[in-house]
Amino acid sequence: MIGYILRRLGWGIPVLWLVATATFVLMHIVPGGPFDQEKSLPPEIRANVDAKYHLDRPVLTQYYFYLGDLLRGDLGPSYKYLGRNVNDMIRETFPVSMQLGLWAVLISVVLGIGAGVVAAARPLSWMDHTGMFLATAGISLPSFVIGTFLILIFSYRLHLFPAALWEGWRYTVLPAVTLALLPMAYIARLTRSSLLEVLHKDFIRTVRAKGFGERQVLLKHALKNSITPVVSFLGPLTATLVTGSFVVEFIFSVPGMGRYFITAVTNRDYPLIMGVTLVYAVLIVVANILVDLVYIWLDPRMRIKNDS
Amino acid sequence: MIRRIAAIVLILCATALWVLASARPPHPWDESTFRMTLSNEPPTLDWNLATDSVSFDVLINLMEGLTEYDEHLRPRPAVARSWEVSSDGRTYLFHLREDARWSDGKPVTAGDFEYSWKRLLDPKTAAEYAYFLYDIEGAEDYNTGKTDRPESVGVRALDNRTLQVRLRKPIVFFPSIVTFMVTYPMRRDIVEKFGERWTEPGSIVTDGPFVLDEWRHEYKLSLRPNPYYYGTRPALDRVVMFVVNETTTALTLYETGDLEMATLPPEAMSVYRGKPEYFTAPILRGYYYGFNVLKPPFTDPRVRRAFSMAIDRKEFPAILKRGEIPASFWVPPGMPYFNSAIGLPFDPDTARGLLAEAGFPGGRGFPAVTASFNTSPENSLIAENLQAQWKRNLGVQVLLDNQEWKVYLKRLQTDPPPLFRLGWGADYPDPDNFLNLFTSTSGNNRTRWKNNRYDELIRSAAADPNPLRRQKAYDEAQRILLEKDSAIMPLFVATQNWVIKPYVRGLRINALELLELKNVRLEKS
Repeated sequence: MIGYILRRLGWGIPVLWLVATATFVLMHIVPGGPFDQEKSLPPEIRANVDAKYHLDRPVLTQYYFYLGDLLRGDLGPSYKYLGRNVNDMIRETFPVSMQLGLWAVLISVVLGIGAGVVAAARPLSWMDHTGMFLATAGISLPSFVIGTFLILIFSYRLHLFPAALWEGWRYTVLPAVTLALLPMAYIARLTRSSLLEVLHKDFIRTVRAKGFGERQVLLKHALKNSITPVVSFLGPLTATLVTGSFVVEFIFSVPGMGRYFITAVTNRDYPLIMGVTLVYAVLIVVANILVDLVYIWLDPRMRIKNDS
Repeated sequence: MIRRIAAIVLILCATALWVLASARPPHPWDESTFRMTLSNEPPTLDWNLATDSVSFDVLINLMEGLTEYDEHLRPRPAVARSWEVSSDGRTYLFHLREDARWSDGKPVTAGDFEYSWKRLLDPKTAAEYAYFLYDIEGAEDYNTGKTDRPESVGVRALDNRTLQVRLRKPIVFFPSIVTFMVTYPMRRDIVEKFGERWTEPGSIVTDGPFVLDEWRHEYKLSLRPNPYYYGTRPALDRVVMFVVNETTTALTLYETGDLEMATLPPEAMSVYRGKPEYFTAPILRGYYYGFNVLKPPFTDPRVRRAFSMAIDRKEFPAILKRGEIPASFWVPPGMPYFNSAIGLPFDPDTARGLLAEAGFPGGRGFPAVTASFNTSPENSLIAENLQAQWKRNLGVQVLLDNQEWKVYLKRLQTDPPPLFRLGWGADYPDPDNFLNLFTSTSGNNRTRWKNNRYDELIRSAAADPNPLRRQKAYDEAQRILLEKDSAIMPLFVATQNWVIKPYVRGLRINALELLELKNVRLEKS
C-alpha cells in the first residue's frame, strides 16, 4: 500500500511540471503584461521595472529562473502587490478558503447524500420530487444568485447572519451554504441514481430474502455499494472548494484565495498565477490519490487489482 | 422511517436557526470607530511605489507631504509651513514646520524628503511614478541611468528645516505636484531596517493624522490616531477600511449598520437620490473616444468633427444613471481653468454637412469602421449608444469590438484602432495633467495626432505664473484639440456617489475622490 502511494506521488511530479510549464507558456502568450495600464509608463521607467522583475530577459531564461526558484520552494514576488511574496499571499489566504471549503464539503456531503437516499427510498414520491426539484435548482442557479438571495433572506430580512465580512464563525454560514449548494445538488442526484441502480441488483434481492429490514437494506448494503460515483466526484470537488471561489469570496468579502484565480490573470501577475495554479494542481493530485485509497477501502476487488 | 428522519432534520434545522437568532451578538465595533470600504486590496503602502487610488485613499490619512489640498484643490501648507520661488521660477525653497513629527516621535526633516525623492528616482526602486519629478534638475538622467550620482539630482536639504528644489524649467504648479503621494517624506532608517516589509504594521512610521495599526491582507486595514501628529488629534478612535470588491455588498453592509459610508452602485441610485445621506459630486476623470488620425477615414478632420457633433452627450447620464456630466470639453469642472464653452456641440445637421463635404453624403460610401473598447458592461452600453447615434444622425454603420483590458491596452500601444475608448483621471489638480496627455511627445497619446501649436501652448502655460495668460493658452489648446482638429471626442465627466450615515460630520471628499478623515467625528446620539 505504501509503495502504491509513493508511486502515485512520484507520478504527481511530472504532472506538476507539465502544469507549471503549460501555465508559464499560456500566460506569456496572452497579450498584455503586468505593467500595462491606462497611464502608460515612459519607456525608461518601463525598462527599470522590467529589469527589477527580470522581464527584460528572454522568456526561456525567465522560465529557467522560475523553475529554479520553484525547486527551492520560492514562488516569487507578486507584480501587483508590491513587497509581498506569493508564498506569503497563499499562506495568508489559503487557510480561509480551506476553512470555508471544508464546511461546504461537509454540508454538501451530508445533505446531498441524505437527500439522495430519501429520494431513492421513495422514488416518484413527493419527497423524491421535492428533493430533485431543489437539486435541479441548486445546479441551475449560479452562486451569485444564491448568495444574494441568502443575504436578502437571512441577513437583510431575518437578521440571522451577517451579510458579509469575516469576523467569526457566524460569518462563515452564508458563504459556506452558498458554496455547498451546487455540489450538494450533484451529490444528491448522483446518490439517487446510483442507489436506484443498486437497489435493483440481485444481491439486494438476496438481502431482502434473508429478511433484513428496509433501513438495513438501504443504509448498510445498498448505500455502501452505490457510493463510488460520489467518492470520485468528491476528490476534485474538495480540491476546488478548499481553494476558494471567486464569486463567493467577492459577494461575501471573504479574504480567501479564490479571488486570485481571476484577479491574478486580469492583472497578469505572473508569479501569482503560477502560485495558485500549482497549489490547485497539488491538491488535485493529492485528492485523487485519496479517492483511490477510499475506492480500495470500499471495494476489495480494487485492492487485488492494485496489489497485482 | 424516512419521513421520521426528514421530520427530525427539519426540527433540528429550525431549532438551530432559532438559537442562532437569539444569540446574535452586537457588532464587534465600538462607538467611535469609522468603518468604510476600499474597492480593492491596496497594492502597496510604500508611497514611492504606489500608483493607484486605493493606496492613495489609505496613504492620505497616514501621511502628509509638503503641501495638501484645500477645499478648492489648491495647494496649501502642510509639512511645509511656507515656500518661496526664485525670480526665474526654477528654484523652490520649502520651509518645514518645526512641530511635524513621525509616529515614533522623531521630527520630520528636510533630509527625509531628500531621501524619499532620491529613492523614488533611483532606477533600482523601479518606481512607476518616478517621472513625476522629472522636472527637477538631473532627475531624469539619474532615473534613466545616464548618471549614477544621486547628488546630481536638484533636491537638497539645506538644513533640517529647509528643502531646496532646483527645476530644469519653471513649473508654476510645482506646489500641486508635491501634494501627490509619491513625494511624501520617508525614513531611511525604517526602510533599511525592515526592507521590503517596512510598510507592515509595527514597522511603518508615518507623519499624518493616523498610524497603521493592523493590515490583514485582502480583508481590512485598521488605523489609529497618530499621537505625535502636529495638527488637531482626530476625534475618531479607530478607522477600519474593509476590502469589499462588490459595491452591492458594501451597500448591504451600510444598510445593516456595518459601515458608516459606502459607494452607491448605479442600480441603487433611484432609491437614495434626494435622501440626506446621499452625496454626489463630479470627479476629475474624463471619458473619451479618440481617433487614430493616421487611419482612414479619420485622417480627414471633417469626418472627426462630424462624428463628434453627431453625439448627443445628454444621453449618457440617462443610460448610466450615475449623474455623469455630459462633456464636450476636456478639462473637467473642478479643475482650475475649466471652461464649459469649449468643445463641439451636438448639431446633427452640421455633422451631416461635414460628412458630405468629406465625400460621404448621407453616410453613403463610408468605409466599415470599428469602435474598440475594453470589456465592461458600462463601456458596452456607451458603445451601443454611440453606434445607434452615428447610425441615426450620420447614416454610418459602425461596428463594435471589445477586448479584455490588458489585451486592449497592448493593442493601443502597438496599433491603435481607428476609433477607441479611453479615460483619464487627474493625479494632481492642474489642467497640465489633462492636456499634456495629447502633446506629441506624450506616451499616452494614442491618437498619433501631433500639433506644434498645441505643444507650444501647453509648454508655455506650464511656466507662466500669470493666470489670465494661462487661461487663454489652455482655452486655445482645447479648441485645437477638440474643435479644429477634433483628435478626441470627450463624452462625459464621471461622478462619485456615496451614501453616508447622517451622524458622520466633518468628512472631506474632494474631486480627486480622496477621503480625508482627520476631521471626521461621529455624532450618534
